[in-house]
Amino acid sequence: MPGPSDHSAPARDPGSFRDPSGFVFRRDGVLLRQINRSFASDWDDVVASGPLTELQQRGLLVQHLDAGIDAAADPATAHAVIQPERIDFVSYPYEWSFRMLRDAALATLEAQVVAAERGFTLRDATAFNVQFRRGRPILIDTLSFERAETGAPWIAYRQFCEHFLAPLALMANRDVRLGLMLREHIDGIPLDLAARLLPGRTRWNLGLGTHIHVHARAQARFADRGTDAAAASKKASVSPLRQRALIDSLQRTIGKLDWTPAGTEWADYAENTSYGEDATAVKDDVVRRLLDNAGGSVVWDIGANTGRYSRIAAGLGRRVVAWDIDPAATERHYRAIRTEGNERILPLVLDLGNPSPGLGWAGEERRSLADRSDADVILALALVHHLAIGRNVPLERIADYFARLAPGLVIEFVPKEDSMTRKLLATREDVFPDYTPDGFRAAFGRVYEILEEEPVSGTARVLYRMSRRG
Amino acid sequence: MEHFLAYIDPGSGSLIIQALIASVVAIPFFFRQQIARLVRVVRRGGSEDGGVTPPTDRAS
Repeated sequence: MPGPSDHSAPARDPGSFRDPSGFVFRRDGVLLRQINRSFASDWDDVVASGPLTELQQRGLLVQHLDAGIDAAADPATAHAVIQPERIDFVSYPYEWSFRMLRDAALATLEAQVVAAERGFTLRDATAFNVQFRRGRPILIDTLSFERAETGAPWIAYRQFCEHFLAPLALMANRDVRLGLMLREHIDGIPLDLAARLLPGRTRWNLGLGTHIHVHARAQARFADRGTDAAAASKKASVSPLRQRALIDSLQRTIGKLDWTPAGTEWADYAENTSYGEDATAVKDDVVRRLLDNAGGSVVWDIGANTGRYSRIAAGLGRRVVAWDIDPAATERHYRAIRTEGNERILPLVLDLGNPSPGLGWAGEERRSLADRSDADVILALALVHHLAIGRNVPLERIADYFARLAPGLVIEFVPKEDSMTRKLLATREDVFPDYTPDGFRAAFGRVYEILEEEPVSGTARVLYRMSRRG
Repeated sequence: MEHFLAYIDPGSGSLIIQALIASVVAIPFFFRQQIARLVRVVRRGGSEDGGVTPPTDRAS
């Protein structure tokens, strides 16, 4: 192990400051986690007693190596340093589809069950502690486990309800788009708000009635009682059997919540209505060739729909982040990759016209889309007309933003005579005189070198492969 | 009960109501456990080997 002087300066993760027991930082590009002396005896206990190993073997908790105390970012406070297994791409709950959030919730509860069986407890249950690794949810905060006191209630119950149960209940019982409330409420959806927004019938559901409606009332009732309530809450006692029953109730409640996009199977979903079958096969081949020529290891498929072209990229050995504005498309895509066991694709929800911003303290706790980009190549098929005509974004600005996200680009130009573009223009004034093949090439040619240009036979569309200048 | 290591605010109302909700849901949970145990015993032809029943049904 090299000494501290051999290291570059540590860079503390701007989103890792809430828990005083440790923090995450980067050194030489490697992600490390420092465990502070204040948490030393708890850490040694949890390491020696085996719940972490058990959780890791079950695929519920990220693996880690001991990095040695010399790697500490702050040697004065450090007790230990670990190097967690790398998560390829950090996504946030407001970018997940319904089943992704549900699977993350169930993984969190399962982790609490496993920990409790060994006398430990999960002391926080934020959705941001879950990431998707090879298509499956996994807990990333190794410091979340501590010895349980006998008879103590589950400290993270409130947080679990606010981060998982409330948004899932709203998505399943009111509207799936309410999942985006997690973008505003990064500490979870307040239960009184969830209770107001949920249909009245949910009060008569045992799980939602208790964990959301009664829970919200109890919060309001004790909120203004200050220290009296605090004293009463310290006496609150929950036996191990009751706590197991509580988790079981949450598991059942969440297991019963579901949302299925209209049109039953993802395969029934029309991928691209303006293409005939022959043209589709031709387009597949052209896209495969252009992606192959573009190289790189990470493709961001923007406007991925249910993932036809994400699969082509994955088939070339690329890791793919597949974004789509439609939660139904992302839901279908996620179910498909889970069924197929495809570990290379991460489907996520994104409105590129209003991408995930920096959020939380100083706008840095949760990183913006551009800040997180690890893409080598952007794949933008059947997208540009939605941005340029559907959202009035000038072609130059589209080119500039794509160039910020990745050096490589495979993009489809959908001209005005295309039926999909005609549909967008049918109800509005055509205020887009520059939306032409020449205008497109000029706008993108400013920031990209156009390397290949392939008309898709049987259509008026053209596919381009480009590389960022400079 | 003191919770020194809880850096999140568990919420007074949440802790108090948790104790109550856990007591309520423990009743059906207990009966389900007993039924699952009985089913296991019947399936094994009346012999419950091992003696120790896991506290959970992992069906979910």
